[in-house]
Amino acid sequence: MSETIDQNTFEQILEMDDEGDNDFSKGIVFGFFDQAESTFDKMEKHLADKDLGELSSLGHYLKGSSATLGLIKVKDACEKIQHYGAGKDETGTNDEPDQEVSLENIRKTLTQVKKDYKEVEDFLRRYYGESP
Amino acid sequence: MMDGGQTSTSAAPAGNSSDFVRKLYKMLEDPSYAEIVRWGDEGDSFVVLECEKFTKTILPKHFKHSNFASFVRQLNKYDFHKVRQNNEENGQSPYGQNAWEFKHPEFRANSKESLDNIRRKAPAPRKQTQTTDDSVPTQQIDLLNQQIVAQQQQIQHLSDRYAQLTVDHQLMLQEVMRVQKTVLNHESVIHQVMNYLLSVDARQRRDSKAAASFQAQGQAGSTLSPSQVATMDDEPSSPLQQATKLLNDMNAEIQFNLVGLDGVADPSKAAGAVVSAPGMDGVSRNGVVRAPAAAANPALVYSKMNGDVEPVVYPVGATNGIDPMYGEHVKNVPYPMPKQEVDDSRRQQVQQVQQVQQVQQVQQVQQVPDNRKKSANVDPGWARSPRILLVEDDQTCRQIGGKFLYSFSCIIDTALDGLEAVTKAQANPGYDLILMDIIMPNLDGVSATHLIRQFDRTPIIAMTSNIRSDDIQLYFQHGMDDVLPKPFTRKSLLDMLEKHLSHLKVASQNIEAPQSAVPVTMAAQSSAAHSIKEDSSPGQSPATSVNNWQSPGQYPGMAAVPHSMQPVPSQYVPATPGPAAYAVDQNGVQYTTPTVALAPAAPAARPQVRRQLSEMSSAGENPGMAKRPRMYAHPSQPIVSSMQATRTG
Repeated sequence: MSETIDQNTFEQILEMDDEGDNDFSKGIVFGFFDQAESTFDKMEKHLADKDLGELSSLGHYLKGSSATLGLIKVKDACEKIQHYGAGKDETGTNDEPDQEVSLENIRKTLTQVKKDYKEVEDFLRRYYGESP
Repeated sequence: MMDGGQTSTSAAPAGNSSDFVRKLYKMLEDPSYAEIVRWGDEGDSFVVLECEKFTKTILPKHFKHSNFASFVRQLNKYDFHKVRQNNEENGQSPYGQNAWEFKHPEFRANSKESLDNIRRKAPAPRKQTQTTDDSVPTQQIDLLNQQIVAQQQQIQHLSDRYAQLTVDHQLMLQEVMRVQKTVLNHESVIHQVMNYLLSVDARQRRDSKAAASFQAQGQAGSTLSPSQVATMDDEPSSPLQQATKLLNDMNAEIQFNLVGLDGVADPSKAAGAVVSAPGMDGVSRNGVVRAPAAAANPALVYSKMNGDVEPVVYPVGATNGIDPMYGEHVKNVPYPMPKQEVDDSRRQQVQQVQQVQQVQQVQQVQQVPDNRKKSANVDPGWARSPRILLVEDDQTCRQIGGKFLYSFSCIIDTALDGLEAVTKAQANPGYDLILMDIIMPNLDGVSATHLIRQFDRTPIIAMTSNIRSDDIQLYFQHGMDDVLPKPFTRKSLLDMLEKHLSHLKVASQNIEAPQSAVPVTMAAQSSAAHSIKEDSSPGQSPATSVNNWQSPGQYPGMAAVPHSMQPVPSQYVPATPGPAAYAVDQNGVQYTTPTVALAPAAPAARPQVRRQLSEMSSAGENPGMAKRPRMYAHPSQPIVSSMQATRTG
């Protein structure tokens, strides 16, 4: 999981748990699950509407929380979506003038990030003793 | 003529040809028109008496147009002739000067059957097309005429509106200028207060110099070095009370102005009253910090009048469709206060919050001794718990950030967007630090900072993943003090707190922390936290270094003090609100604490060198906070000495 979750980042959240339970970190993580899933749904919708600006904004939004939890892959993908949505390439440095290309890039990235997310979600659910 | 009429049968359909004539006849049958149009006295002609009324009221009714000339043309086509009235003996028509009399041999009163004999004249073939064409365009022209009239009315409307708006705009400009004046006045008063404070401070220190050195020597004989005595100094209370008084005067003045120029702003006045009230209680911080809040009120009101325009630094909100990543979108400063801010209901809320705030402050004053005790015994990391406003729209980041802050013994308040942040900062001037996300709905962090900076100098840290240099430049331009890159870690967050809240640390923390005063909450924090502390403490904050360490003369080896002395001149200038307002901002609450009783002893020992504003802030804090722990610290003097030795050497 090391390339999926940044251990240091995640551990410092675990450190915030009270002794004997992990209610705090679990609450955060499961809250993130809800957030991520609803964000993905919104992304699909705005992808259908070809609303790049909204997609970029959603990418930024989920980037922040996934980064805070140390979910590297999800974070990276969200960052890409943010850039694509802004009419840039995946690094955000060069312009991508063709909307359709940007939308296609987002479509691919979104498909991939959902897989990555599922993987990390399963892992974390197991970690917290729930069957995925 | 009759010949002409009859030959035209082939050219024009029979029914059609008499249509106009029948209408004409029917019209003349109506007795209610007698004043306007009627049969001639002989019954063999008809007379239009009131040409204008006829055109406006009767023509539209019967002929669906209002063009007299067209009517006359039509008559001519049917071979009616105007009866000339200007015979030699009588220049007057029997029907009046402006009457038009028309005649046709077959057109007579009570002779309906002869109407069929009236036929359209036979025009030349070429001419015929012309005339039929002619009649249609006249109607179109009429239509166009009507449209023109309508448009003229619209234009009139618009120009009226424009004139009104111009007047409104003028008024607005005047109001804004007055507000600006008020703000300037306000700033200069603060300036004067500062100068006054400084002069009083200097005089008192001069007066007490002898006593100070005497006392210092006496105590050095025991365990304290003179410098230690020096650090126990406190700001005498009287200058600050004076400052409060001056500020109160100024408050009253501002309020007066408000009343004068702002009839609309009843809520504002009320708020102003509430706002200034705390200034009366001798709390210097309240006086200083709230006065700007009062001055800011007119601005709120005017922005309400500005209407819906709400430019913000970043195009925020999920619906904008503009990449929020790039600073190029940022154009306009300053931004009007978002109008939600001034809704009356909202304002009332603010008032309530302010009142609650006062209550809380009172309570806090009561609580302070407990806190201090606790902090001295349990968590000496902070002299008191720093109050942090965490502004973050993302729940995950907010929860984790809040938890981290909590673990650092901070008191946390949260705001979900920039708008809420501005409201909270306005309602509560007591924050020690504001952590501000940049991209948020409703109002972005940079705009929020810009607004907060209109009335408050609390350090604001940008929390963002957008840390390109031009982004950062932008943050600083708009009054942010630092940048905490996202995702932040516990360490980077603590680092930031230590850097900007060093004045809140127990005064002797630099000296003692490694040995005895490691905060309990920090104990879990590994040695990393220590190294942060040690690395950052010497040069980071003038306030701390001056406060904790002593005069430069006595310890030439300490770099921190000269470093912090340098910015002194600029700190007196109100135009650089940074350190000055900031320092004052940190002052107040503690000052009201019962421990002020400790203060009288202090001025005697005050050394000459300590004149900085930033240091004054620390001093203002001392009676409540820093002083106590220092008292507790006495037993550890040997440690202090050894530390100083290493530093000096």
